[in-house]
Amino acid sequence: MDTRVGLLSAFSRTFIPGVVKVEAERFGFPYLADLLAGGGELEYGQLTTCRLLHKYKLVNLPAARIEALLADHVAGALNVCRYFDPAANDVFCLNLDNNHRTESTALIPEMTLAVDALRSCLAAAGCEPLVVASGRGFHVWGRLDSPVPNARLHDFMLRAAARALLAVHEAGRDHRELKVNSYPDVRIANVVSLRLFGSIHAKTRVFSHVTARDGTPLDEAASWRTFEEFISRQTLSSTAFEAAHRSLGGDGPASAT
Amino acid sequence: MSATVPTPAPTDPTPGDRPTVAIDIDDTLNDFSHTLRTLPIPYDPTYALSEPTFAAFLARVREDAPESGDLLSTEYSYFRYRIHELCYRAAAPRSDGVDFVRWLREEGWRIVICTRRDLRRAQACTRAWLEAHVVPFDHLFMAANKIAFCRAWGIPHLVDDDPFQIEHGGAHGVQVYYPVMAKHAALPPHTARGFSSFEEVKSWIRASAS
Repeated sequence: MDTRVGLLSAFSRTFIPGVVKVEAERFGFPYLADLLAGGGELEYGQLTTCRLLHKYKLVNLPAARIEALLADHVAGALNVCRYFDPAANDVFCLNLDNNHRTESTALIPEMTLAVDALRSCLAAAGCEPLVVASGRGFHVWGRLDSPVPNARLHDFMLRAAARALLAVHEAGRDHRELKVNSYPDVRIANVVSLRLFGSIHAKTRVFSHVTARDGTPLDEAASWRTFEEFISRQTLSSTAFEAAHRSLGGDGPASAT
Repeated sequence: MSATVPTPAPTDPTPGDRPTVAIDIDDTLNDFSHTLRTLPIPYDPTYALSEPTFAAFLARVREDAPESGDLLSTEYSYFRYRIHELCYRAAAPRSDGVDFVRWLREEGWRIVICTRRDLRRAQACTRAWLEAHVVPFDHLFMAANKIAFCRAWGIPHLVDDDPFQIEHGGAHGVQVYYPVMAKHAALPPHTARGFSSFEEVKSWIRASAS
């Protein structure tokens, strides 16, 4: 198996088994039949407004089929997205997007301010994130050694996002220029997917590279090395996550009720 | 939406493949616009809006007003989706439309429900509505440009009320059938076929398949 597929499988360990969204330039009933040849169903499909990019939400896929799709993902043939567990996850993601309809891929000053502030805030809390360029901004990821209830992850991310948007506000900029979503979101955990690392951006066809602490975009090989390091060395323990949460003003772990 | 229609090479039909039709839901198989205008929607604090803002937003949604500015995600856009979702659930089916889809199934057609709804959020309620009203279908797709979708997937028939699809279908080899509504009065010349009863579509589609 390609080591990159293994990394993506490790990253995906708490996502919902058997459920993926595939983003592909291929379409048509024969292609759909190919996608489902090993079992599974199409929950829904989508023709996007970007060229002829299609998205397919597939459910009840066998594990071997998902592994094959991951191989296609690292080969750049398609993008695979996975769905968060509705109760608890070991991955969290803050998506910072340009909130404009037009020129939505432009890197606006508010974005730079927010992603820098978010990265600093998380690092200061002991939670060095992986920052990946997306089409309309950045995805800021953290990974834990065991699943944490979604409500707790969401509370942590809201606190971090508030600090990032405060930095935008204090710089005299309008925070509404940005859209910040945090996943898993307790309100919509079952409908939002996370595009896995190593994807090719739909509009630009550019690899979604990692950005270094100084904002420098890394090339594809360096990005994969950084992702491997993120998986192997930057995974937070539960204790470290709780400490990070408290440092952002969160309370102690929720008691079991 | 852009007035241009991408013209992909149509996919080759699989030998022995089933005849296929794409069918819209809102204002085609149901009375969505009527529901949007008339459904009682009381104030609810979970909208996280003041009562005056709620009333103002609701009035705009009932007029089908889109987001006015350049921002993608706003309080209004989120509220608008929530009201639309209420209406997706509450809309009444058009009985002859449901009968038509059941007839297609009996005749062996592949049925693709093709909607502009955001199925990322509305898939579950859409599927529930179709199942509650016993509307058979094979696939559920979302597309704004359904002409491009039909052409790409080799689907020659589309039933849809949307003026954009009506106007552009003929030029791209997609025969569009639409329930005649007031909004269609000022359409430019087109080759789509308007109907008052799905029985008309049944006869047209039967003739085209023979």
